[in-house]
Amino acid sequence: MKNQRGALTRKGLAILLIAAVAIVVAAAAFIGFRSNSDTVVKPPEEIEDYLFWEAKELTGFKLTGAGGKALGLDDLKGKWSFIFFGYIHCPDVCPLTMGILGQAFKLIEKNPAAYQDVQGIFVSVDPKRDTPELLQEYASYFSSKFTGVTGDTAQVDAFSRQMSALYTIHPKEAQASGDNYLVTHNSTVFLVDPQGRLYGRFPPPQLPQEIAEVFLKIHTFYNERVKK
Amino acid sequence: MIKFFPNILAALMLGFFAPGASADGDIQIQDPWVQAAPPSAKVLAAYLEIKNNGKKQQALTGISSPAFGQIEIHRSVIHGNMAHMEHLKELAIPPNASVAMQPGGLHLMLMDAKKPLNAGDQVPMTLIFGNGEKIAVTAIVRSGKTGSMEDHRHMDHSGHGEHKH
Repeated sequence: MKNQRGALTRKGLAILLIAAVAIVVAAAAFIGFRSNSDTVVKPPEEIEDYLFWEAKELTGFKLTGAGGKALGLDDLKGKWSFIFFGYIHCPDVCPLTMGILGQAFKLIEKNPAAYQDVQGIFVSVDPKRDTPELLQEYASYFSSKFTGVTGDTAQVDAFSRQMSALYTIHPKEAQASGDNYLVTHNSTVFLVDPQGRLYGRFPPPQLPQEIAEVFLKIHTFYNERVKK
Repeated sequence: MIKFFPNILAALMLGFFAPGASADGDIQIQDPWVQAAPPSAKVLAAYLEIKNNGKKQQALTGISSPAFGQIEIHRSVIHGNMAHMEHLKELAIPPNASVAMQPGGLHLMLMDAKKPLNAGDQVPMTLIFGNGEKIAVTAIVRSGKTGSMEDHRHMDHSGHGEHKH
């Protein structure tokens, strides 16, 4: 009886040990996996929801700004880019979102180091009506940090599809006059990191304080944990 | 001088100092304003609140303004992050209720601006209701209160602005 109990205890201990080793190995593998790529270092909870699980490398694209100035992937590198897809004939959601971003930039300005890393890019998905010159005037109204760009449909698509920022240009209603057609667009603000990777996003409805606070936390987290 | 007084009074009543209202006072228009936008913006949005103090449902059926070629009632709908606008033929205001237009939701879409508008400009508008009533208001051009958009998150997009708590 005693021996039997002793045997059971030893057996139990062996099982416990094996289980403990397995847990340690699994945890080590898990931590190791997460440390493998800098993008999966666990971000603080309060910014986690705004980040993509894995930062997505963007591929080359070419859009055009005022004066024929090209904007490509290299122009995103070294900056944090806030990207918004819209169109000038959008009277409600676009000025609302651009205004919110402009106010968020003003709040970020209180942290000069973060502010100098920021740029805003307004991409028109309506190149038929929006020229690069009009876009620059429109975008810089909301903040001097903004660049307004567009391209032909293929160029806009080559960029917007990398962010799954879908849009639809609606055939104008029969009775509508002139150029008054509507466009459905993604009203998410996308965040591209200084390595040119799609890093986070601010889904609607956005708030200036929310964007500024979350961005400053992302900026700190990135500089401390990711960039090394 | 005296004979100008009624005109001034009338102008004041149509202005933003006093909200526009129907003759019987059943319909009241409050805080009409136009979102300030860059000169390149050819289409603007106006917002206002319509109160129906009466016992009958009312409907906003049309809007005209000397400052714009065409004005329509629109609603921005954001569904799965996709923003689109719905054109409403008319906007119903149930009895004893009010419908508030707000950025990101119900708005008046102002098209074919006759000239660029700046913050502080006044835009006269006439609201036409289904019962034939016409109410004149003056909307002020200003920047939206995007800093206090907290309510926006809880906005009811059903078109009935009355609060149900």
